Amino acid sequence: MRLSGTFFPLKLQVKLALYNAISKALIIGAFGAIIPVIIQGIVYDHIDKRLSARLEKMMRMVQIGGLNEISLDQDCSFDSYNVFKEEYVSISPLSGLPGDFGKRTIENTERLIENDIVKHRVLSQAFLYDNQLYEIEIGEGLSTIDQLNDTIRQFTIRILLAVILLSIFIDLGFARILLLPFNRIVNKKLKDVQHPSTFDATPVKTSTYEFAHLDRSINEMMHKIKETFQIEREFITNVSHELLTPISILQNRIENIINEPGISNEILNRLVDSQKTLSRLTRIVKALLYISKIENDQYLKSEEVSLQNLCTEVLEEMAERIEEKSIRISSEFDSDFIYGPCNRSLIHTLVLNIVSNAIKYTKMNGEIKITGRSADTNFHLTISDTGVGIPSEHLPFIFDRFKRFHPEDGMSYGLGLPIVKSIATFHKLELKVDSQPDKGTNFHLFFPIQGN
Amino acid sequence: MNVLIVEDERQLSHEIEIFLTKQGYHCDVAFTGKSASEKVFVNSYDFVLMDIGLPDYNGFQLLKEAKEAGRDAAFIVLTARGSIDDKITGLDLGADDYLAKPFSLLELHARMQAILRRKHGLKNNTIQIHDFVMDIQNRTVSFDKNVINLTKKEFDILHYMALHKNRVITRVQLTEHIWGDVLEEDYESNYIDVHIKNLRKKLAAFANSDFIETVRGIGYRLNMP
Repeated sequence: MRLSGTFFPLKLQVKLALYNAISKALIIGAFGAIIPVIIQGIVYDHIDKRLSARLEKMMRMVQIGGLNEISLDQDCSFDSYNVFKEEYVSISPLSGLPGDFGKRTIENTERLIENDIVKHRVLSQAFLYDNQLYEIEIGEGLSTIDQLNDTIRQFTIRILLAVILLSIFIDLGFARILLLPFNRIVNKKLKDVQHPSTFDATPVKTSTYEFAHLDRSINEMMHKIKETFQIEREFITNVSHELLTPISILQNRIENIINEPGISNEILNRLVDSQKTLSRLTRIVKALLYISKIENDQYLKSEEVSLQNLCTEVLEEMAERIEEKSIRISSEFDSDFIYGPCNRSLIHTLVLNIVSNAIKYTKMNGEIKITGRSADTNFHLTISDTGVGIPSEHLPFIFDRFKRFHPEDGMSYGLGLPIVKSIATFHKLELKVDSQPDKGTNFHLFFPIQGN
Repeated sequence: MNVLIVEDERQLSHEIEIFLTKQGYHCDVAFTGKSASEKVFVNSYDFVLMDIGLPDYNGFQLLKEAKEAGRDAAFIVLTARGSIDDKITGLDLGADDYLAKPFSLLELHARMQAILRRKHGLKNNTIQIHDFVMDIQNRTVSFDKNVINLTKKEFDILHYMALHKNRVITRVQLTEHIWGDVLEEDYESNYIDVHIKNLRKKLAAFANSDFIETVRGIGYRLNMP
């Protein structure tokens, strides 16, 4: 699970399983809570009816046979229990007149019967007999019913737990199967796609409407991206043609005019200046097209290159410039690194531009150091110079197109480092720069080691 | 030498024509693929300079047809489309060389001469430059059997100037010749002057190297009788 924002995103299958478990727990829990109450209500109702019937019977017995019919003891009271203390009848004389004379009351009370505390539901009524007030109570034990309720409660809890566990288990499995097409879509249509041109629009097999919808939408989106890339590609070709053709005409015309006999020196000089300007324009257009083509993925990555040899080649190519500025060069590789698959010519241009940049900004008798260090996951190439450095406020912008921080040199056009950046991005190389003004600049390139 | 220039951009084909005519070539021009196709099959050319971005005809198709028909003209593909595949396709179809627009006319001429040398065997593979002998095959310059140790760029510069002897070559033309394919920032500098200085010094150790003349503010010229 990856941290996103402030919470951990859960897998959908886990969420579904949890949601199902919780909703089932709520439903079963609610049933478990309500059923004992309902059962109790029904049971009490039955008990109450039974108690009333018995009371009627007792009262009839008293009216017909008098209290004598029931054998009263010395203090004129009568108690009768069945063996299990589940039912009892008692008649006892009352000393005063109760306010609710003649009214029947039902309550649950605990009675001490022969040293046992037994919970009873008791129906009581006062009545007058022989000018004496008596109270008759008819009770029925509640222990059986409480037991029943307990049993139901325990049973409910067990069922609840079992159902929740089973539900989570089944839901996880089901959701997993259900989400298989989703993972396939993500892997095949998004993760594995390096470039729109390699996109495979074959529909992913799924019986879920939403996934089919997602698949279709991704296909449509990719189709649009593909089209955009194609349009961009054609645009680059057209721009190339439309810009480079007039430049071509001018360049060749200037070349022809320069060679005309009888041209004054002044005009000749101006023509040569025009040639320089035109050459600069050509460079800019070519550099822009180059960057566009790299960004539009028009280069193959099918070669391998030895970084050590490449650096040697670049340094040889730059030998005269290095010599002219009396720059000391040191190259130090702890091992060679064969990088690939890559585009050799692009990697060459990448290193060449960094070295060229280093030479340009290094003072006379300065030093340029190239080091290659092999690490666990990457090969670290550093190109350090003892040049003028880059102020920290400029560092974030050095790879932006047409940003020139040294206006005094009229020759650069601010596309050397953007080319570096686009090649690094194209090859997914990490590119870092640190610099100290007046001390020098370090360019770091990290080449991933295959399998990492 | 007969050259067919297939180029729909008339101003461009005109400049190429002017240049090549001055170099002693006989030029024919086709502005459309259709007329180019007819001309290639009717006439005999030594060179066909072909723009592949023709509006009415795929230049590659024309190249393919001509090659299949066994025309022995040397084909140089010219393109401004800037597509990487174009170069590969062109060379695969049997083109002898490839030039991306914009190119220097001197570069075009140098390429044509290189093709001629290749086509006509190794006979004429040395150039006499005053007291020095340039061996193009082995890329060496020697004086009286002493091989002079020139760098790759110094050799290229001297070779380029020898190919265009008695003609002013501007710094831009020389720079483009030796750095042309390299895309980098620090390009329009005076490195050419450094190369020439070194080259002169190395030659002067053996004999007079004054034949490399500096044309002030413009460039250099290799003077030959």
